[in-house]
Amino acid sequence: MPTPTLSPTLPPSTHEFADIIHRLEAGGSMLPDSPENLKQIIGIYKAYAVPMDFYWRDLLYIAERVFLNPLPAFKYFISKDYLDRPNAYAGEAGSPRVWRGEDDAHPELREFIAQGEAGRKLPRIMHHLWHGRINMEFAEACMQSMYWHEDINPRFNAYLDSDDYKANADKAIRAYFKGNPAMLGLYKLFPEVFLEKVKQLSYYSNLGLFWEVMAPVFFEMSDLYDEGKLTTVPEAMDFLVNGIFAVAGRPIYHQVFIKGECYEIIPKSEGFTWLYEAALPYVEAIFYRTAPFRGTKSYNAQANEVPRDQADFHYGILYADLFPVGSAGIPPTLLMQDMMHFLPDYLVEMYQANSRGEDDILNQVGVTFQRSMYNVTSAVIQALRTALCYPLDDPNPRHLQANRDFFEMQIDRFKRPEARLRDIQKTSYL
Amino acid sequence: MLSTLIWLPLLGAIPIALFAQTAKQSRNIALAFSGAAMLWTVWIFSQFDLASGGLQMQEFVSWLPVLGLNYDLAVDGLSLMMIFLNSLLTWIAIYSSSSDIERHRLFYPLILVVSGGVAGAFLAQNLLLFFLLFELELVPLYLLVAIWGGPKRAYAATKFLLYTAIAGALILASFLGAVWLGDSFDFSYQQVLQNQLPLVSQVILLALLLVGFGIKIPLVPFHTWLPDTYVAASPPVAILLGGVLAKLGTYGLLRFGMGLFPDAWALLSPYLAVWATVSVLYGSVTAIAQKDIKRMVAYSSVGHMGYVMLGAAAFTPLSMVGAISQMVSHGLILALLFHLVGLVEDKVGTRQLDQLNGLMNPTRGLPLVSALLVLSGMASAGIPGLVGFITEFLVFQGSYIVFPVATIVSVIGTGLTAVYFVILINRTCFGRLDSQKAYYGKVSLTEHLPAFVLAALVVVLGLRPGWLVQWSEVTSASLVAALPEVEQVQLAWQEETSKENISFARQVPLDIALGE
Amino acid sequence: MANIVEIALGNKDFSTLVAAVQAADLVEALQSPGPFTVFAPVNDAFAKLPPGTVQTLVENPPQLARILKFHVVAGRWTQADLKAQTQLDSLEGSPIPVRCHADGGDDFEVKNATVVAADIEASNGIIHVIDTVILMG
Repeated sequence: MPTPTLSPTLPPSTHEFADIIHRLEAGGSMLPDSPENLKQIIGIYKAYAVPMDFYWRDLLYIAERVFLNPLPAFKYFISKDYLDRPNAYAGEAGSPRVWRGEDDAHPELREFIAQGEAGRKLPRIMHHLWHGRINMEFAEACMQSMYWHEDINPRFNAYLDSDDYKANADKAIRAYFKGNPAMLGLYKLFPEVFLEKVKQLSYYSNLGLFWEVMAPVFFEMSDLYDEGKLTTVPEAMDFLVNGIFAVAGRPIYHQVFIKGECYEIIPKSEGFTWLYEAALPYVEAIFYRTAPFRGTKSYNAQANEVPRDQADFHYGILYADLFPVGSAGIPPTLLMQDMMHFLPDYLVEMYQANSRGEDDILNQVGVTFQRSMYNVTSAVIQALRTALCYPLDDPNPRHLQANRDFFEMQIDRFKRPEARLRDIQKTSYL
Repeated sequence: MLSTLIWLPLLGAIPIALFAQTAKQSRNIALAFSGAAMLWTVWIFSQFDLASGGLQMQEFVSWLPVLGLNYDLAVDGLSLMMIFLNSLLTWIAIYSSSSDIERHRLFYPLILVVSGGVAGAFLAQNLLLFFLLFELELVPLYLLVAIWGGPKRAYAATKFLLYTAIAGALILASFLGAVWLGDSFDFSYQQVLQNQLPLVSQVILLALLLVGFGIKIPLVPFHTWLPDTYVAASPPVAILLGGVLAKLGTYGLLRFGMGLFPDAWALLSPYLAVWATVSVLYGSVTAIAQKDIKRMVAYSSVGHMGYVMLGAAAFTPLSMVGAISQMVSHGLILALLFHLVGLVEDKVGTRQLDQLNGLMNPTRGLPLVSALLVLSGMASAGIPGLVGFITEFLVFQGSYIVFPVATIVSVIGTGLTAVYFVILINRTCFGRLDSQKAYYGKVSLTEHLPAFVLAALVVVLGLRPGWLVQWSEVTSASLVAALPEVEQVQLAWQEETSKENISFARQVPLDIALGE
Repeated sequence: MANIVEIALGNKDFSTLVAAVQAADLVEALQSPGPFTVFAPVNDAFAKLPPGTVQTLVENPPQLARILKFHVVAGRWTQADLKAQTQLDSLEGSPIPVRCHADGGDDFEVKNATVVAADIEASNGIIHVIDTVILMG
């Protein structure tokens, strides 16, 4: 990606975050370029990719196999098939092969599943109860958030409400509960409940297919960094931009396997794409919006402390106060806990050197994660700029102005006081 | 044998001043010498005869017989408690001082000199020797506050110096009077005890002592130097000031006020009870109004020393044990509080109640410090199971028979103690830690250690109060036995004053204090 | 007169576009009577996309078809017609902003693409050649 200098034809931006606007216009990231920042974000990408390798496999396992199991007690006990399931973007058969590693579950993930936090081999149920497990609740919270913010994925949701979808779901539901008069009777009485569950499972599939891409992308970035081939934050961002484009056309679908037969609930032929129906809604729902986490803070809705409009929600990682978010049991903490198990040594050393050492490692992991997600968001902004606006070195000043308007519109979202854009500019933010 | 407690710290000051290269070295040498003094104290405890109420382990060296000044040391239950407190808190103060303190070759020697001087004062059996050692700690402390103190240190140190110097002058005047009016020139404590002074002279001399030691303790209204000095002093010095030096005042009142002027003491005791109660209430109520936690703790000290005074004023065997034990328990709890407040100030950078918040937070607050703060607050407020309860209860139990009203009012004072500690703990430890500002450094084990030691003592002595009170029971009984009945003295006073046509309005306040 | 597909086939600048239309199985549709307005990206336009973008799309015909349909509008819109328009509805469903001689200028732009050759008449519609692949959003 070219990194042109600021065009002399445009006067300096007067935006509150003019520095960052100029940096974006020069092909940079919202995160300042420094070796320290690069180390942090790459380290956390790697730590994120390992649990993510589990998330996507288990999400697809739930969407495709567990399906409407009324008592899904073992939905987090992923089957061997799904641990071995080849990632479409890794291994020999990967197309494109994003990661040069193997296409089945990551070795560190397998080791953790076997050993848990206890560090020795025990039945999986023991690890689960002992909390030596990957917190799928986080993945499900993300799915819920995407499902709940309906307005950000209109095309996909329109299909979920279509008659085609209802007919497909109906076929699958009847096949799944064949020979189970109790459930079939319930289905007759409350068809909407079952349909709603299937819609949710379609979002499981959606998110699983989204993360199937991101895991190898992050693994490859970590490998490139270790090999010394990723040396700056903008390079890391550009790798993400290219990754976004390379798989943008991946189909988003939902299929269910019942008694060896495949039922297409959302067929690939509907034309849903990874970029439009998964990636962009994910960024909006998870990075920006989500919802306030229970138990972290009291909000008074009467005093308008919670926005009236869902589009104004701002509880995502880009706005999160990682400190109360470090409280036990809430989704972000579950993710930090998952990442903590797979931190590269250089990050662990860095955390130990900070003033509280490992006491507040979840908070520190959270802040690092926040930095890294600002970089991912930068990649999304740059990718959108590539897709919808103009090259950074476009000679036409009107085009450059359009680019600037686009950047400023994006950065406007970080003007609200909760946004951490200011904080991540400082190395003292821990 | 007892001399070791004086000379060991003084000896330790020499190598530090002369040879220590780094602050760490100085600290280690100081720790070694004060640790040795503490071990020596333990040994003295093991040699102490619990059955004897009199003086033990006497040492006598003739020094300046012409002046009546002799090097005369001995220990009884009262002194024993005080030297325990002194040895322990000196070690803690040195341990809790910063390991990279500036001018370490002056700081540690000064602390050791203070410690040795104070130990001598607690052991001295000669009035002049006591006075000399009492004055000896004045200049080092002035320097300790003036050099290593907080922003208002110069003002605070000067105020401290002036007040204590006046106290010293009054005490000296009283001592001289006690000796000279007895037509003697021997300042030996035992000798002065033999002097039979007329009641009026006793009252006047006791009044001088009361003001002198009242400044040192301090009692209202002579307390105004205290908040300034305690707040300006660095935590180790504040521990010494509040934990040990204040005890010189109460010790002096018990030893000399009560001992040398028993009749006057008995006569004035109802007024002393009222005075003590006023101190308790004033200290507690003022502490409630404070916005600075160190100042709050400083004012709490005014209130708590009032209990000692109340116990002494009642002079029943039980209240005397209570008063002596309260001196120890106050020393332990105050030292703990000052240490913790010092840690909070060091890590958070403020002592203001309206800025502190959420320190209990386990990840980025000071959870252990907060927990210990809660414990020490409970101990100070007299929650059962902790040493503060035992000693305050002993005082109240002992004094209720004599001064029911004063006692009940003082009990209300402990309720007020709970009020300001709840305020302190609620504002500092609970609530939401501000993530924008709060990323407090970790408190290391070595920083915690003094607090652990003190907290352990607070809990253990609270659960096994026998280990605390047994040392002073016999001594208290013998101190009390030396005092006359109040009614008896009042009759004698009436006779004497009517003889000389001096009219004193006495009946009304007496009734109030006695609750009749 | 040649139809839209025939015109595209006859111009080597549209070889990528033709391959894409064939992969997406849209040849027949573009040969139907229409009429259509097609914003046809030249080969360079596809080449400007980051590596791998086109390959993934070619492997997934329904998704590719969706992108291509975004370049097609029902009706015959000449450059002159578009002067009065600010946006058109694509066959994909999303709107395409257009900018034709706005403020009296001589620019003719479709979203972030510039029209390099306008008003190529076909039997079943009209073609405007653009220099950038336009994407929804």
